[in-house]
Amino acid sequence: MMASLYQGLINIIERKITPLAGAVGQQRHVIAIRDGFVAALPFMIIGSFMLVFIFPPFAADSQWGFARGWLDFSLRHREQLMLPYYLSMGVMTFFISVGIGASLGRHYKLDPVMTGLLAFMGFLLVAAPYHDGNISTDYFSGQGIFTAILTAIYTSEIYALLKRKNITIRLPKEVPTGVARSFEILIPVIVIVATLHPLNLLIASWTGMIIPQAIMHLLQPLVSASDTLPAVLLSVLICQILWFAGIHGALIVTGIMNPFWLTNLAANQAALEAGQTLPHTYLMGFWDFYLLIGGVGSTLPLAFLLLKSRAAHLRTIGKMGIVPSCFNINEPILFGMPIIMNPLFFLPFILVPMINAVFAWTATRLGWVAQVVSMAPWTTPAPIGASWAANWAFSPVVMCLFCMVLSALMYLPFVKAWERSLLQQEAQAKETSAVPGAGLQTP
Amino acid sequence: MYKIMLCCSAGMSTSMLVKKMQDEAQNRGLEAEIAAFSATEFDERFAHYDVVLLGPQVKYMQETLAAKTVNEGIPVATINMMDYGTMRGDKVLDYALQLIEQKGGV
Repeated sequence: MMASLYQGLINIIERKITPLAGAVGQQRHVIAIRDGFVAALPFMIIGSFMLVFIFPPFAADSQWGFARGWLDFSLRHREQLMLPYYLSMGVMTFFISVGIGASLGRHYKLDPVMTGLLAFMGFLLVAAPYHDGNISTDYFSGQGIFTAILTAIYTSEIYALLKRKNITIRLPKEVPTGVARSFEILIPVIVIVATLHPLNLLIASWTGMIIPQAIMHLLQPLVSASDTLPAVLLSVLICQILWFAGIHGALIVTGIMNPFWLTNLAANQAALEAGQTLPHTYLMGFWDFYLLIGGVGSTLPLAFLLLKSRAAHLRTIGKMGIVPSCFNINEPILFGMPIIMNPLFFLPFILVPMINAVFAWTATRLGWVAQVVSMAPWTTPAPIGASWAANWAFSPVVMCLFCMVLSALMYLPFVKAWERSLLQQEAQAKETSAVPGAGLQTP
Repeated sequence: MYKIMLCCSAGMSTSMLVKKMQDEAQNRGLEAEIAAFSATEFDERFAHYDVVLLGPQVKYMQETLAAKTVNEGIPVATINMMDYGTMRGDKVLDYALQLIEQKGGV
């Protein structure tokens, strides 16, 4: 009964979900959006790191000398400290636009610099209202992310289309090719200015909202829905199922979640600046450091369990996997144990991060654990990353360690069962005097 | 000189395997250039290599990526899950050499 249920599930995964994930994961715009975020990441990580200097992780009335000095310093120099933050996090859409444009440029074999700059201009045209020598920065951060994605895709597609249809200024053959090319490059710029600007004016006169405002208005329900427990559980579930089938599910899920996470991260940062309660819970720091501790499936505690295994194969995997696991890379564990396509691990692999998600969500919502307000590289060891992402609060470390203990407890019985069957195989292999581990088949 | 490229999502886990394969190649006295890249870097990198091996977690990209290397005749194949998980530099190196041989040497 259980076995046939599992087989049925695997069939669905292989026939339906895998091809779908492959299609989504390789869709050029999904890839471009991900590339855009990857390009913007270093600027956003360093920029948001400034927050710890501006909002030190101490109570405002702390009397401890070190903390007092830091607090006073941050109050006195707030404006200067804010500058690098404003000009990185505050204008993240610039980096994202250029990144997405350049990625699509590479895809279409266009000049990536030109495609990136076109995307940047396309975004500015609609999202940078200009009055009396001042540009409003309202839509350069979280509120402009979806616009940046759309304008980058639009401008790159237009550029690619013009190139494909060979639409260019035709000059007599006598004109040197260099001269011809210098005119050629003007065409995509003209087309983009001549389409996006009137469109923005038109939408503004109809709705009273400029494009980024209108887009945020339309997407508001979706953005709100992305920060709910069902959204957390659904995204983790998809990621786990795909990874169980051996597909890099995290790549696909984060590709889709990133725009939402960034929009909500910017909202949390704005609330921190304004001294208000932070509105959002489910952000990349939550995903990376509570749900993917040591990699997909939260296998860092598992790596420690393996180190002491009685089965030689598991000990080897543990030794090989422990160091990369500390930096959230766990392919040796997933493919080596293996967990991937191993029926025994189907349930714990799917459920461990989901159960952790429920605890982390509840604790954060109850106000026991500090919310994510900063960005940390996903390769940061989980307890440190959890603290970093919450602007160096201590409560996320406790939350992360709690999730690790819970993962260890939930994985333990399944590891023991797998160990027993491996020990049997090892014993059999010894009897037939074959090479140890030879009885181990790829599932 | 054998030129082998490994490729996965971020080029992180494949870079662990690169080290093992390099050690193995050195033990065998083979001259080999082995490097790992992320899938994003594929387009600009593959042409320099004799063969491209993918991490099993990005097997779903194999068809698309292989289509890009058809003109150059560079084989794109996926590494066996178990060899990948146990970081068997020797077996993966064997596999790469076998693919290079099949397409008619370097």
